[in-house]
Amino acid sequence: MLSRLSPRTTKIIAGALAAVACVLLGFVIGSVTAQPDAPDEHSAEAGFARDMSVHHAQAVEMGMIAFEKATVEHVRTLGVDMALTQQAQIGMMNAWLQSWGLSPNSDDPPMAWVPGGSSMVRGNLMPGMATREEIQQLQRAEGRQVDILFLQYMVRHHLGGIHMAEEVIKANPRPEVRALAETMISGQSGEVEVMRKLLADLGAQPLPS
Amino acid sequence: MSTGDSRRSPFSTKATKTTATDDQKSGAKKPAAARSGSAGKLLDRPPSAKGGRTPARPQTAGKGGKGRRPVTPVRVSQGRNWGPIVLFAGAGVVALLIIVIAAIPVLKKANEGTWQERVAGIEGLINYWESNAPWVNQREHQSGVLQYETNPPAGGNHNGAWQNCMGDVYTEPIAKEHAVHSLEHGAVWVTYRPDLPADQVEMLASKVRDRSYVMMSPYPGLDVPISLQAWGYQLKVDSADDARIDTFINALRQNATIEPGAVCSRGITESSDTPFDLGDGMGQ
Repeated sequence: MLSRLSPRTTKIIAGALAAVACVLLGFVIGSVTAQPDAPDEHSAEAGFARDMSVHHAQAVEMGMIAFEKATVEHVRTLGVDMALTQQAQIGMMNAWLQSWGLSPNSDDPPMAWVPGGSSMVRGNLMPGMATREEIQQLQRAEGRQVDILFLQYMVRHHLGGIHMAEEVIKANPRPEVRALAETMISGQSGEVEVMRKLLADLGAQPLPS
Repeated sequence: MSTGDSRRSPFSTKATKTTATDDQKSGAKKPAAARSGSAGKLLDRPPSAKGGRTPARPQTAGKGGKGRRPVTPVRVSQGRNWGPIVLFAGAGVVALLIIVIAAIPVLKKANEGTWQERVAGIEGLINYWESNAPWVNQREHQSGVLQYETNPPAGGNHNGAWQNCMGDVYTEPIAKEHAVHSLEHGAVWVTYRPDLPADQVEMLASKVRDRSYVMMSPYPGLDVPISLQAWGYQLKVDSADDARIDTFINALRQNATIEPGAVCSRGITESSDTPFDLGDGMGQ
């Protein structure tokens, strides 16, 4: 029966079949591969969102200890301000990861998204993070020691976070990642200046870098 | 014969096809076709160069008779019969698509897929969501000592205070009722039998230390050397170098939360056998 199709009809059918096949194949490929626009598993944006969320979580922890126990009102206010702001930013970064189809966890080690990043990490600690022992020290401190320890740990913590934000900007990230990283740099730089003054008022020094 | 046949299209195969099917009727044509090898050669008979009669041929064929006039070659255009080609190409494309579509789940797993897919691939993992354990959907705050259906517990009602799970490595047991609240917040709780060798304890600690949403503690009475818990999931293994430990933590840390946004800081940092009383009169 096919031999009775006119040449033109057969060509049209062949062309239509090829077009449908191409569309279907393209659809299948698209559904298997990641969304074309989303940063991938090993991108700087994904690494920044994951690692900065961990970094921020410690700032929240320390800020809330300061809010609860610090003796200087300005220090208590700084603490709760940092805690609430950075907790909200964790939410933003987690939402990015979800929209990119990525888990908050990676098989890569921390800071793998930064050239030479492994040298910036101590164990599981991101740059500038306090150890559990230091956090426990802060938790057990009394009086002005709470303020001093909090300010010392937080200056060091901010400087590490600023460094991480600078690294993701170097990687030319998407606009919303760049915007949040830039505001982290400007906000935390300002807070570092305030905290240095408060330490001086308390007769203490920042930790050696 | 000069037919003035202007059909140069590939589909002028009627002559050959007709020839083939008509071979019962015109035996002479069949040998001619066979001799020419395939359809499309000039079906001509060279005019006898020897003059006179054409070479001996059974004269039962169509033309028959003496003194056959020379036959002007009829070009039967060589045309491909596109019909079957299109059909088989189409079938091949469809078959390829079916194969590729079937391969998608396999490819996705190769690319690690979602965390749910990774979890499903962990051998020996117990998924209490799948088994519809009733306590998986119970998440009320209750004071005092609580009874749990699994040992260690992997969910259920719990104390109003959670256990600090910022990568805390507890060296003494912690209260289950606080730990379960930490699971609700998305923590992975690594437990080990107190007689686990020190080097294995340290190996576990290196995976836990300083990582938010992970914590570990010794668990007296554990029936295996190591047991990992997330809300609704549990995995028991024999040794700290079991590769499934990393897979479990990486799949479920934070992903297992039933309270997105909840924190692991501000929790109870002390060890104890029984939960701390929040002093709110809700206790037993």
